[in-house]
Amino acid sequence: MSLRVPIERHRLDNGLKVVLSPDRTVPVVAVNLWYGVGSRNEAPGKTGFAHLFEHMMFQGSAHVPKNRHFELIEKAGGTLNATTWFDRTNYFDTVPSHELDLALWLEADRMGWMLPAMNQEKLDNQRDVVKNEKRQRYDNQPYGDWAERLQRLMYPEDHPYHHTVIGSMEDIDAATLEDVEQFFQTYYIPNNAVLTVAGDFDSKSALEAVERYFGEIASGPPIPSIPGRVDLEPKLGKTARDHVVAEVPLPRLIMAFRTPPFSADDFAVSEVCQALLGMGRASRLHRRLVRERRVAKSVVSYQYPLLTGASMLLTWATGYPHTDLDMLESALAEEIEGLRDAEQTEVDRAIALAETDFVHALENGASRADQLSMFELFFDDPGRVNTQLDRLRAVTVEQIRSFALDHFGPDNRAVLTYEPAARGDR
Amino acid sequence: MSAFDRTSPPPSGSIRDFDFPKVDRRRLSNGLDLRVARVARLPVVSVRLFMRSGESALGVDSAGLCVLTANSLDGGTQKRSGTELAESLERIGARFGANGGWEGTSASLYCLADRLAEALPLLAEAVVEPGFPDDEVARAKDQHLAGLRQQKMDPGSLAHDAALARYFAEGVPYARPDDGTEQTIAGVTADHLRGYADANYRPENGGLIVVGDVDTAEVVELAERCFSGWTGSPASVADFEVTPAARERRVLVVHRPGAVQSEVRVGHVGTHRLTPDYFALSVANMVLGGTFTSRLNLNLRERNGFTYGVRSRFGFRSQPGPFEVATAVGNEVTPAAVREILNELEGIASRGPTEDEVASARDFAAGIFGLQLETVGQIASRASQLVVFGLAEDYYHEYRNRMRAVTTEGAAEAAGRHMRPNEAQVVVVGDADVVGPPLEALGLGPFEVTREQPGA
Repeated sequence: MSLRVPIERHRLDNGLKVVLSPDRTVPVVAVNLWYGVGSRNEAPGKTGFAHLFEHMMFQGSAHVPKNRHFELIEKAGGTLNATTWFDRTNYFDTVPSHELDLALWLEADRMGWMLPAMNQEKLDNQRDVVKNEKRQRYDNQPYGDWAERLQRLMYPEDHPYHHTVIGSMEDIDAATLEDVEQFFQTYYIPNNAVLTVAGDFDSKSALEAVERYFGEIASGPPIPSIPGRVDLEPKLGKTARDHVVAEVPLPRLIMAFRTPPFSADDFAVSEVCQALLGMGRASRLHRRLVRERRVAKSVVSYQYPLLTGASMLLTWATGYPHTDLDMLESALAEEIEGLRDAEQTEVDRAIALAETDFVHALENGASRADQLSMFELFFDDPGRVNTQLDRLRAVTVEQIRSFALDHFGPDNRAVLTYEPAARGDR
Repeated sequence: MSAFDRTSPPPSGSIRDFDFPKVDRRRLSNGLDLRVARVARLPVVSVRLFMRSGESALGVDSAGLCVLTANSLDGGTQKRSGTELAESLERIGARFGANGGWEGTSASLYCLADRLAEALPLLAEAVVEPGFPDDEVARAKDQHLAGLRQQKMDPGSLAHDAALARYFAEGVPYARPDDGTEQTIAGVTADHLRGYADANYRPENGGLIVVGDVDTAEVVELAERCFSGWTGSPASVADFEVTPAARERRVLVVHRPGAVQSEVRVGHVGTHRLTPDYFALSVANMVLGGTFTSRLNLNLRERNGFTYGVRSRFGFRSQPGPFEVATAVGNEVTPAAVREILNELEGIASRGPTEDEVASARDFAAGIFGLQLETVGQIASRASQLVVFGLAEDYYHEYRNRMRAVTTEGAAEAAGRHMRPNEAQVVVVGDADVVGPPLEALGLGPFEVTREQPGA
């Protein structure tokens, strides 16, 4: 399969990196911005601020009153949103292609002229919204504190991944307008951002439009170094444990491993390992734990591709009401360690699924744009979107076996277990 | 650089509309309604096999049987085990799934177009010759029961289920969750699943939808081969009338000790998919709570900070499904949030949306329709609605015109007919000791608290 995403790269004088990827088959265009700032940039006492700031970016800018960004995009028949993650914050608008200029103008206005629109009332309002987001997604949910607990096990206290993206209520409460101003001036500068446009447009006029809307935004000083200690041992050096008895419906075990940083050569090996474990119904964990041994109701595995020190491979096994957690742990560990005997047929199957998923991702302009922004921001190489599949295909079964030996032993594990509180009464 | 005015939005470019792809319609020799759309942007294909007669055709004692049967289809066929089926599909990079719901069962497939000739026979085998081996059925059943247990402790699911029983009269299928209860699932055996599939997985009244880089004649030939010998119509037929549980406004609090937030549902019986009010009502609902800039979201989130988000929606089904406002709000603001939701409902039901609001909602709906036709899966989903609800063949070609034809008066009338704040059922899942008394003090109607322990 030789599909290629077309890519043009540009850089404005102010440092903004621009990636254009035309595809005129459907009259849809995706505008996508990645800013090089995430929760890893938060100083102690400011956890959750990168995400709160993301909310503030929707509160208007000099020429766009509060809610107008949403109103204009929705009236155009478009969609928009943003997400904050450890290493970055992304903003994306998808619109019918005749509204490309609108999306560019809106994104440029908040990149260049956000601060004049800020005030205390807006901050207080979004602080309440974010606190309700935290309650809805974490505090009021069974297992809702898992990320907080797992990150504490995986990353030392002075490491930027020790705290969660949502942060703590106290820190969210403590955020001030001065913080907003300072954060904006430090991180929301064109030389710390990538703008990708993917879909139905003419490259020449799109580039002119980008230059028109973004060109006069002043660049800023270099980004400050990440707070805390960023170096990390490649392995945990132990099995770190946390056991929680809580109001949860079913026993659950989360086992996680430090894996190489996203930028490392052997990150692809780690990705294929994850696919063998959890991609599809014929994958190891599903086949063995769910289907054959029936010790887990469901299993999930995925990877956080991270830049700073180490990534994280996570596996979840949710048991049945009476599943013994020790048994579940040894069953899960056995299958993961079993990758040291991985076979070529399972690698072939994972690659076949990855090929289908690759084409699926290309179907959608927003996901194409998001990947291009990511590869440009993290690797200065949006072309990786086209070589990514080859990187996976190049992984050999021998590499998987030796990776498993190196990374999946008891000297590199975090184990977080949830036990239903009610179970003791039975 | 040419001078331009940064202070106001740039003008739109010239619009490039595009049509819903042409859908070829064929009838296979066994009566199966085949719809094929050639979309050749990328070498992929998306398939849906829809078989009518779903959960709404099942009595309350069999609730969840359609859902569980569909979930068990990955357990293998008469020719291969569950693992062999999964390996056969995934070896060629094919993704397969099946799910049951109110209207019927839908099996789906997504694969590279040049793998369709190998993948479609596997989908056919899974559906037409399911194996239901005992150990796989036991597994699917255990998973289903454990899933029900999880839902009982999930505040959102809990609110959803409690609300349905407040909207619909006892005995109406929609009054229950579509995946059954511990009681109905616990008694299911492999023979029940076999019996259900044999009686109801039948080609008549269903449809096969194929969208992607394919040729209609080749799909017809392939489908004839895959489904030859498969005949008949489903035995179960949905036969019920939807009646509301109450005509007066009532409030129910489901006690969840220690909850730090309240899950709120406010709703009542809505209307069915083929209502002539569909477009006008969709516009009215977008204004009320269907978009980010809806009245509800701007009020509860952007003005008051009560919530992370709030939405309203109509569950359009063959029979009138629920109409519901859903949100999660902080404990201390729960009564205020309920009050605001009812205010917004009263406002739109009695005075309707404004001209500007209707124009924005119309434009949003017409525009987003095109945006959601990017992938073959999105197109296949839309096309399968033609079969599920018996919509006219030119339905999607006319969709945007009909949406753009909605008037302010039409949207107001539809809102007045189908949004009835005085009949709204208020359901709150939260800490009753904290939010109960102030909610009762609102005096909205008969007030009740249930303290049944989840999972008990």
